[in-house]
Amino acid sequence: MRLSRLLCTIALAGAASGAQAEGTVTIVGWGGSWNDVYKIGVTDPFTAQTGTAVTLDEWDGSLAKIRAMNESGSVSYDVVSVEAPQLDIGCDEGLFEKLPEAVAAEADNYLPGTFHPCGIASDTWATVLVYDAAKLADGPKSWADFWDVEKFPGKRGMLGQAMYTLENALLADGVPPAEVYNVLRTPEGVDRAFAKLDEIKPNVVWWTSSSTAVQNLDAGEVVMTDMYNGRITFENENNGKNYGIAWEAGFFYGTDMWALVANAPNADAGRAFLEFFALPENQAGFPRLYGYGTGDKRVYDLLTPEQRDRLPTSPSRIGFGAPYDSAFWAENQESLEQRFKTWQSQ
Amino acid sequence: MPSVAPASPLTAARGQLPYLAMVAPLVVFVVLTVILPVALFLFRAVDNRELQANLAATSAALSGWTAEQGLPPEPAFAALVRDLAAAQAAGHAGTLAARLNQAVPGSRTFILKTARLAAEGALTGPDVRSAVLAAAKGWQNPALWSVIAQERGRFTAFYLLTSLDLQRHPDGSIGAVPAEQALFLSILWRTIAISLSVTAICALLALPVAHVIVAAPRWAAAGLLALVLLPLWTSLLVRTVAWIILLQGEGPINSTLQGLGLITEPLRLVYTRGSLVVTMVQVLLPLMILPIVSVLRRIPPTYMRAARSLGAPWWTAWRRVQLPMLLPGLLTGSGIVFVFALGYYITPTLIGGPGDQMLSSFIVFYTDKTLNWGLAAALSVQLLAVLALAAGAVAAVRALASRRVA
Repeated sequence: MRLSRLLCTIALAGAASGAQAEGTVTIVGWGGSWNDVYKIGVTDPFTAQTGTAVTLDEWDGSLAKIRAMNESGSVSYDVVSVEAPQLDIGCDEGLFEKLPEAVAAEADNYLPGTFHPCGIASDTWATVLVYDAAKLADGPKSWADFWDVEKFPGKRGMLGQAMYTLENALLADGVPPAEVYNVLRTPEGVDRAFAKLDEIKPNVVWWTSSSTAVQNLDAGEVVMTDMYNGRITFENENNGKNYGIAWEAGFFYGTDMWALVANAPNADAGRAFLEFFALPENQAGFPRLYGYGTGDKRVYDLLTPEQRDRLPTSPSRIGFGAPYDSAFWAENQESLEQRFKTWQSQ
Repeated sequence: MPSVAPASPLTAARGQLPYLAMVAPLVVFVVLTVILPVALFLFRAVDNRELQANLAATSAALSGWTAEQGLPPEPAFAALVRDLAAAQAAGHAGTLAARLNQAVPGSRTFILKTARLAAEGALTGPDVRSAVLAAAKGWQNPALWSVIAQERGRFTAFYLLTSLDLQRHPDGSIGAVPAEQALFLSILWRTIAISLSVTAICALLALPVAHVIVAAPRWAAAGLLALVLLPLWTSLLVRTVAWIILLQGEGPINSTLQGLGLITEPLRLVYTRGSLVVTMVQVLLPLMILPIVSVLRRIPPTYMRAARSLGAPWWTAWRRVQLPMLLPGLLTGSGIVFVFALGYYITPTLIGGPGDQMLSSFIVFYTDKTLNWGLAAALSVQLLAVLALAAGAVAAVRALASRRVA
């Protein structure tokens, strides 16, 4: 079914490619299958409708690149997908343009955390509790279970950084997702998160690359791990794995944001792309084909139940989760990562 | 070689001109693409332009004020509002807030809010101080005012102090940061220790391999060299994941040892300092072997034989005759391996434990993720200082050795 939809889109795009090209725009995503899906689901239809040729580039999300481009006066990107905390930092520094008015007017239709004066979500993803259902028939149901090494013996995989990990520690300590940042904004709350992490520290295998984390789970090196939901969907659908996701344990969802780079060479075409993507039927082109959602709430009505089932931000899932607070991390990332690394190596 | 070049009619100095002309493009290229950008980046380690340019009136109004006096008086708040309004209008509020947030974490959001309100003219009236404090109570923090009062010059020591786990207290004295934030010195020692041990292990492994390659027949030597170079041609990720699979709890090494009955519980091999050093040695070893081989090839084997025939035991002959002659190759190889090892950061994050992350990964974090280029530059200065020390050590050993030979 997915394939037929793909072929249909390709045929549509092919039929329209005869349209007269009107300018070009350079759009920069995260590469790999992410770019492949964006091309089929979004940028090809954009070219078909507007005649603007799209160069779909990829990058590693390094804000330093945008700053360097701007300082040297040679900006080569138009629209980039950038992580929300980096959008926050870059927007305040003037590295990104404010959204076009037509897009900004839609703010109320967006899920919390997916709209920013400088950008709208290009994708929403979540860090979820994952276990190998082939090995654990009765898997963990909560982050407290994740911490419970007597009930579930074995090592745990955890992302080796403060961001996304302190949140999970507070979930395990019984803080509801919506309350986590209120707690983390106090010094006692940060101490509480680190105290909770102390409990599990001897049983943790830290990861930095999702490939090694999945490899650890596959090899039984860890019995459960935190992981990006899209990666797990991919493993289950393409590599025949049977990994379980404990959505009900609670999770945080993050967003990457489409943003127009300041002084972009094709700023008008970039704005046209943002306006195109802001329409729900165009935005749906991405989550139809992938395990990541988008920001506009109306998009989810356009998806089938199976498509919705993969997404952290679908109506049935979002109640278990809360958005990562990019403003919190924009101002606390340095000091908390510093403390986390010190704690980690003790 | 008298037959190669006929005597030049030009003077020696003029004879060098063509050579100078030949290297000039390279020198210009290196200066423009390496030395200048690096110098400009390193300058950021002491650059204080965000505070100096944007908060001049405020820091002037704070002259004579110290943290013990409590909150600064009304004129300082009025100057702050003027400064912030100007920064907001010029589009500098973001960088200014980011800079202050580096010194006082958690202050970014309320500073931006204050700047916005100041630009809108919402913070005026007879009592600006109350208006500012009502809008953003973060300004009650004397530490923030101390930073503004202290950091008024063109240059700052903030980043260099931070990179050495030091801080300036509100009273102006310099002291250690709290233990839970003290990170960078231990990272620096760890980076040096890992690089030194990788260099030492490479040297120990390379010496016998180089001897075998030099002694082997031509075809075998070519094959051995190809084997030595193989890790250099393998993708970093493939190489690292291969080690993870090999070393993990249910991997071939552990299952073999368990099958032989040597161990009952799987050994913790991966994500340790050991697995990191092994992986780094594997890829850096060729850079040690190649210079040693090229030096060794030029040492006639008759020297060793002569020493042996005069009655020296093998070890003495090697140590007194062979080693001094291959020392240049060993030093070159050690220098290259040490320099490469210092800059490693992807391999440590993939296969090292939490206590094995190296300095470069922090430079990348501050450069890419938080745009704190000042601290990234200060940490780069540390790496450069270590490089300079290493180069000095190599030169000293070389000088010492040549004096002993002479």
